[in-house]
Amino acid sequence: MTVYESDLPGVGKKFEVELEDGERLVIVTHNTGKREVYLKANPDADGDKLFEVSDRLARKIGTILEGAYFQPVQAEAVETMLSEDTYLEWYTVSESAEIAGQTLEEADVRNRTGVSIVAIQRGDDLISPPTPETVLEVDDTLVVIGEREECAEFETLLGDEV
Amino acid sequence: MATAESTALIDVGILFGAVALAGLVANRINQSVIPFYILIGMLLGDYVLGNIDFPALLGTDLVPHGAELALADTDFVHVSAEIGIVLLLFFLGLEFNLDRLIASKERIGKAGVADLAINFGVGLLLGYSLFGSFLAAFLTAGIVYISSSAIITKSLIDLGWIANDESDAMLGTLVFEDLFIAVYLAVATALVLGGGAVGEALGQIGVAVGFILVLLLLVYLGTEWFQRSLETDSHEFVVLRALGITVLIAGIALSIGVSEAVAAFFVGMAFSSTDHVHDLENLLEPLRDAFAAIFFFWIGLSTDPSLFLGVAGLIAVAAVATTPTKLISGYLGGRIYDLSERRSVRVGLGMTTRGEFSLIIASLALSGAGTALPEPIAEDVYAFAVGYVLVMSIVGTTLMQYSSAIESVVVPRLEAGIGSTSPSSDD
Repeated sequence: MTVYESDLPGVGKKFEVELEDGERLVIVTHNTGKREVYLKANPDADGDKLFEVSDRLARKIGTILEGAYFQPVQAEAVETMLSEDTYLEWYTVSESAEIAGQTLEEADVRNRTGVSIVAIQRGDDLISPPTPETVLEVDDTLVVIGEREECAEFETLLGDEV
Repeated sequence: MATAESTALIDVGILFGAVALAGLVANRINQSVIPFYILIGMLLGDYVLGNIDFPALLGTDLVPHGAELALADTDFVHVSAEIGIVLLLFFLGLEFNLDRLIASKERIGKAGVADLAINFGVGLLLGYSLFGSFLAAFLTAGIVYISSSAIITKSLIDLGWIANDESDAMLGTLVFEDLFIAVYLAVATALVLGGGAVGEALGQIGVAVGFILVLLLLVYLGTEWFQRSLETDSHEFVVLRALGITVLIAGIALSIGVSEAVAAFFVGMAFSSTDHVHDLENLLEPLRDAFAAIFFFWIGLSTDPSLFLGVAGLIAVAAVATTPTKLISGYLGGRIYDLSERRSVRVGLGMTTRGEFSLIIASLALSGAGTALPEPIAEDVYAFAVGYVLVMSIVGTTLMQYSSAIESVVVPRLEAGIGSTSPSSDD
């Protein structure tokens, strides 16, 4: 992102912000405090004036844009990226899950899907690391690690209706 | 009966009321306010209102003669107009950014020199052929060279061009013109106040150069002093101190025969390197606009419209000659700024507007009447300048408003012309 700044003698200052797709946002800050905001479809196009606001209003809008009042967070964070393609996810074992009631050895999750089950949360207990003999029970929360497609494969074993 | 003081107050009230109305009308029809301030001043002055014989027209003695109603060119109006000039140039100095000039010195220099050579050159030729004297030619050259920062800047904002690339080229060229006019006014004032005699004028130029050097030294070394001079939380004190310093220095300059406008320019420049620039701009802008309005009104008051008859031909010749020169120099300036054909044409259209600075030169010509210039020539130059500004301010504003229509006709032809030599990459 590049921001171009230039002086406008007798008027104030001009800022041009490169947006995506070659669009440019032009903000003219007058010496009086007034802000005018223009949008250019491309760097060579004429600016279309979007709006003009007083100094006070401009600061308010700026603060909202900055996220001072509300920072959107990822809703229901159920996955965390460890690297470009490695995810740490957790799933709940439902009654319809094919693997419910099987030991890890029987379920053979690693060979069938590629993901590893690294921990199991059962009620207040944390089973980590689980052993081949550990039985997967309904309502267990499984913490798994794997690539995007492997996780998707694993979800089919759980038989969850998403 | 009304006392002298109360009629003076009424006169000033009428002045402001009339100017306010003229501004309203100008705004309604999307024109610059400057020609309207001048026209209303002309209408309410001795030459128009003062010559209307209401009792004879209406056949009754109950109405006063126009001469009793007309606004006189009082000391108040004259001094206020002078303050208007000082504040206009003070702002020019305040907003003059040396760093900006140095940062893009190549483009501003090239565009500015093209602008200067074409327009000042044509102005000199034109002035000499119209008035037949060197000083009148020199003044005419200044009048037709200087574009109007005030009108152009306002049009840029009104039309939204301020967000586009053409504003850089236009404002850059104006910066060059501003610097030139500071030097030009110093020389022109010395020539006019020197009474036209070469020896005396040389002496005056020496004084002017000396005074400007002192001011430059002040600008260079005095930043800290200027900074401290406005260290206060009170807006009232900032305004009073800034006016005290600026008007006093301008007054001293004038008293020794140096242009008060140039002195104000350098004082403005001195303040421009302090932290108070923003405050000064905000606080003094309304004052500048009020006094500048009186200046334009005063120009109108001092104009005898009947003189227009004598100079109408000159005005027409000048308008026909110097509209194309600005179009060309503006277009070249745009190309120097790497702008497309369309935007370069716009630069030309915008730069045709002449205004406040041409009028400052006009008032200078009038002050030399009977000394530096024979009275009839001084009056002709003055009437010529006022008429020329009335025409060019309206022509320039109108050209900018109708630019898209003009562009659609002109740009394809320019591109066709360019296309034969090198492919154009413009939109």
